[in-house]
Amino acid sequence: MKKELEITGYKCKHCGRVHYPFHDRCLDCKRREFEELPAEGDAKLLAYTQIFNLPWGFDSRFLIIGVVEFENKIKAMGQIRADSLDTLKTGMKLRPAWEPVRREAGEDVYGLALYPK
Amino acid sequence: MRDVAIIGVGMIPFGRRDEDSLLDLLAYSSIKALDDAGLGDKGVDAVYVANMGAGILQHQTSVASALVDRLGLLPAAADAVENGPASGASAIKNGLLAVASGYYDLVLVAGAEKMREVVGWKATDFVATMTHPEVEYPYGITLPGMAGMLTRLYMEKYGLTREQLIAVALKNQQMGALNPYAHVEMVITKEGIFDSPDSVVNNPVAADPLHLYDMCPVSDGSAAVVLCPLEKAKEFSNKVPIIIAGFGQATDTHTLQERDDPTDLKAVTLASKQAFERAKLKPSDVDVAELHDAFTILEIAESEHAGFFKKGEGGKAVENGETSLGGKLPINMSGGLKARGHPVGATGVAQVVDIVFQLRHDLPKERQVKNAKVGFTLNFGGFGNNIVAFVLRRAE
Repeated sequence: MKKELEITGYKCKHCGRVHYPFHDRCLDCKRREFEELPAEGDAKLLAYTQIFNLPWGFDSRFLIIGVVEFENKIKAMGQIRADSLDTLKTGMKLRPAWEPVRREAGEDVYGLALYPK
Repeated sequence: MRDVAIIGVGMIPFGRRDEDSLLDLLAYSSIKALDDAGLGDKGVDAVYVANMGAGILQHQTSVASALVDRLGLLPAAADAVENGPASGASAIKNGLLAVASGYYDLVLVAGAEKMREVVGWKATDFVATMTHPEVEYPYGITLPGMAGMLTRLYMEKYGLTREQLIAVALKNQQMGALNPYAHVEMVITKEGIFDSPDSVVNNPVAADPLHLYDMCPVSDGSAAVVLCPLEKAKEFSNKVPIIIAGFGQATDTHTLQERDDPTDLKAVTLASKQAFERAKLKPSDVDVAELHDAFTILEIAESEHAGFFKKGEGGKAVENGETSLGGKLPINMSGGLKARGHPVGATGVAQVVDIVFQLRHDLPKERQVKNAKVGFTLNFGGFGNNIVAFVLRRAE
């Protein structure tokens, strides 16, 4: 069953800066009041890499990991579902999904997965 | 505030040291530093121990308490300092403040890490625990992966080339081969890692666009320094005191994603600026620098953000030999993290020890920067989120 994205940004009610993850005080104006924002729309690829020396918890040969920006300015890291970097380019749009990204103690850990469109 | 001098240094060869415990490593470099300072049977007022991962890697905590006991330095004050890969410089900063304030006269700072006793994936995972536990770590991101992202952005923004990254690796491994303390004492060639059919096998992609030879090794090692007020330095040692003329420390966002421009290493700029202002010196006054080249991209990016080169020109400077011995600003004449190795808790202390060797004019001519009077170190914590810089000066 398709799961909803569990990414909530925090928009400062005073200066408008969007944070993800949560901070107790705004990184810019230091105020403490935030509006919660669910991540919306496609994700623009800001940075990416393919890594071959993986830490604990992964059986795959490599991972492709990127940082994206959603249409409402939330920025997040996620795993890119691609066979190689050939189809990727900084600035391209990716389709977000909420899927297993690793396993811990036999259980799936869900997170942001990103598909080239 | 009092001027603070380094009067003793000690380091042991980095590499794989299966026969030694973490406490052995700390004790070996500490004894060398205490002897170098001429302290004989004297004690010290305080000990600061830099270590990032004994709790994870050795299942051992309270290493500072263990070290003062091992060294017979009881009842000296003892604290462990953990600031990721910048733990070493943070520990020296704590010692510096303690002596400068007048609370302590003699302080030992030792840094160590023993990373080779765990398998590769466990060491990678240990270092990755610096990332954000909820929005970065679960995805499998590693520090090399973050460096890979930075490198691609730098290539896109500034036209950085692989040849420029390779120039860092060649220079630092060449210097490491001359350094008896270095983990990697092997000279490499451009043909071997870049423009030959063999290079595909010799130098595979590790974190695209970075390759294996863009990375520092995982190392065991330890280094130590002894600090005292400059006015008392001659009471202990006949060697030239090296003054910690300025320090700077600054932080940036924990996650990469929250930086407006990830190629802008703000904390490096701020920490360096603070260090130069406190030292009343400029980047152009520096004769030799040790930068935190855990990845080749970092030496280039740090050399620009610290103020030695304009943004986008650090890569060309390495390629043109400006950062080699005899160049405008020799960088990492120890071989840097790339060749000396990167036992994370020891690195920041080792950088300072290597600059002390340079400013004392203690090195063989193959590595000695002629008449070096001012040195600079930059220790890069997290992925650029906690930076400590020092400006060091030879006392006249």
